[in-house]
Amino acid sequence: MILAIIENAFLSLIGSAIPASAVVMLAATGAMLGERVGVLNLGQEGLIGIGAVYSVIAVLSWGVESPWLAMLIGMIAAAVAGLIFAVCVVAFRASQVLVGLALALGGIGLSNQLGVNRNGTPIQTLFREVNPGGVLDNNDAVSAFFFHDPVVYIAYVGLPVVLYFVLFRTRHGMNMKAVGENPAAADAVGVSVTGWRIFYSVLGAALTGAGGAYMVLSFTPTWSPDIARGRGWVALAVVIFAGWRPGWAVAGALLYGSMISLDTTAQARGWGLPFMGASDLSFFLSMLPYVVTLVAILIPAGAVKLGRRVRSTAAPAALAIPYSREER
Amino acid sequence: MTPLASIASAVLSVTPWRLERRLEVDARRAALTRIGGAVGAMIVVGILLLLTGRNAFWIFWQALDAIFGRQRGIEGVALRGIPILMTALGVALSLRMKVWNIGSDGQFLMGALAAVGVGIHMDGPGWLVLILMAVAATVAGAAWILVPALARAYWDVNEIITTLLLNFVALQLVTWSALGFWRDKEAAVIQSTREVPFTLPGLPGANSVTIALLVPLVIAAVLWWVFRSTTIGYEIDIIGGNPRAAGFAGIAVRRRILIVMLFTGAIAGLGGMLQLSAPGAQAMNAGFSAQFGLSGFIVAALAGASFWGVIGGGLFIASMFYAGIVLQTKGLSVYIIFAIYGVILTGIALGEIAARYRVVRRDAADESEATAGEAAAARKGADS
Repeated sequence: MILAIIENAFLSLIGSAIPASAVVMLAATGAMLGERVGVLNLGQEGLIGIGAVYSVIAVLSWGVESPWLAMLIGMIAAAVAGLIFAVCVVAFRASQVLVGLALALGGIGLSNQLGVNRNGTPIQTLFREVNPGGVLDNNDAVSAFFFHDPVVYIAYVGLPVVLYFVLFRTRHGMNMKAVGENPAAADAVGVSVTGWRIFYSVLGAALTGAGGAYMVLSFTPTWSPDIARGRGWVALAVVIFAGWRPGWAVAGALLYGSMISLDTTAQARGWGLPFMGASDLSFFLSMLPYVVTLVAILIPAGAVKLGRRVRSTAAPAALAIPYSREER
Repeated sequence: MTPLASIASAVLSVTPWRLERRLEVDARRAALTRIGGAVGAMIVVGILLLLTGRNAFWIFWQALDAIFGRQRGIEGVALRGIPILMTALGVALSLRMKVWNIGSDGQFLMGALAAVGVGIHMDGPGWLVLILMAVAATVAGAAWILVPALARAYWDVNEIITTLLLNFVALQLVTWSALGFWRDKEAAVIQSTREVPFTLPGLPGANSVTIALLVPLVIAAVLWWVFRSTTIGYEIDIIGGNPRAAGFAGIAVRRRILIVMLFTGAIAGLGGMLQLSAPGAQAMNAGFSAQFGLSGFIVAALAGASFWGVIGGGLFIASMFYAGIVLQTKGLSVYIIFAIYGVILTGIALGEIAARYRVVRRDAADESEATAGEAAAARKGADS
């Protein structure tokens, strides 16, 4: 009996956590792509905003009727921002931390400015959930994992599998890792460090933009200022938690997502504790996702320091270090 | 050579000049190119404003008039300058060691929250309460960075994300205090904490600026002296240059990192108390910090960890901030300020790189070629 209640609570938590952190999953995959080739893009927060606001503009002002096309427009806008970032840090070799923060600030400012007249306008062009009709119905225990948008499956299953395969099973992935770990060696065997770094940071920015687009095209679904609300930073934390391994990002994103859905569930049902009223509990729970994310970052590092062997959770050796052939 | 440097070289190759890396970048030139980058960025912003149909000259004029046209403007800049200078000094101190404290906003908020807690719960002479508020704020600011600092110092966990995540927690905590446990129950409409009944004494001749303005100046002077004349300042600079070398030289690198990070948090926390003790700002609400930490970060980046530079840059950014508030009443949204910050920060980062190159005549350049490799190797060590 109690077991069934716990199982139910867990499944409903996961069921709402999955869409809640699909954004984080997409942004974390995007950030991971760039970081694997040695480019740390701290601007995820801004890229989510840019991706979101251009999808909103596409739907509300340009009359785009397909959510996929709207998402593509958001991705292109984020990719353009990512290209500016990549040119500054890879070609000009400007500080990745400074330009990344500039992208975070500028992206938030720009997207809020562009969205200012569209606050709260509901979006009608939405992704439709995949309905495994006939086979399952909405009340089955496993339904927590189904009845989501196609984007959710791309984010949680498609991208990690593809990225894992490319990174660890192909020569191309070997070269990617070489660019991130030892760019001089990659350069010596004829891999263009500059080209690869720019390409993958732009691709990563586009994925993060897709995350922003997903927010307004399915999750919220409307524009509001500061739409990312820290999800970009959480995504960067998830990459660290995951130890730069695509599969583990799923766990990190779901951890964050279940904290978020715990908060919303508690608010909706008016949960309280003996020593904490419902409204106080909700304030407390809204701090929890960030606290849990912070603790999650400390786990891999702590495990290494405390002597538990953890397989390859170190950052790419050349992360955030500009490469120039004349200086190696 | 980077592609863009190659393009520049190709353009220069038809002239008797060529582009060359500097063997050493001196601090003054680097500061000049950073300022140049910031100014260039503002010109880009002006052009963008013009292109989107806004009259950049008019906006610029309105901003100048709002600031220097009357005493209220100058005092307004000084009032915004206090929190921005305090967070900037904290960040600049951490940058000395190549540590990025991006959580100064959170430390600022926690400092103010601790100060409110002391201020609304204590009876006693005003000066004593204010001193205790300052102590509480300093301790709270340092406590807020304790976990990221320990993780950075002893577990080598990157401090950028950890310090930043705590900003969100601090913001939620402040919201909670304003709407929950310390809420002013008499003012039903305003959602903020109860008011602290004490303020710092005003500066002579000023309407709203208190002696709080002197605190960042004193801290800047002390930090400048520490880094000019003391062993610990020198050691911190060595750690910033090359932590491995510092370790070999017998410096307790990890403990220094921990202590310096705690100090950066303490300075930002004290900034929160100073902000709170200004007349009219004696209660906290969710909008208590208008992203002062981020402004402070930009100031520190512009100043490149020079403490006097922080004062100059801080007043510059504070004027922009104040101008932004004034311009809001004239139809420019507050969001544009953040977009402009982003462009300026990019300009600073690019200016930093420009300082590393110079244009020289061809024949003069060839001699220094041989030593370029050595200098590059030395700099590479300093970067990592």
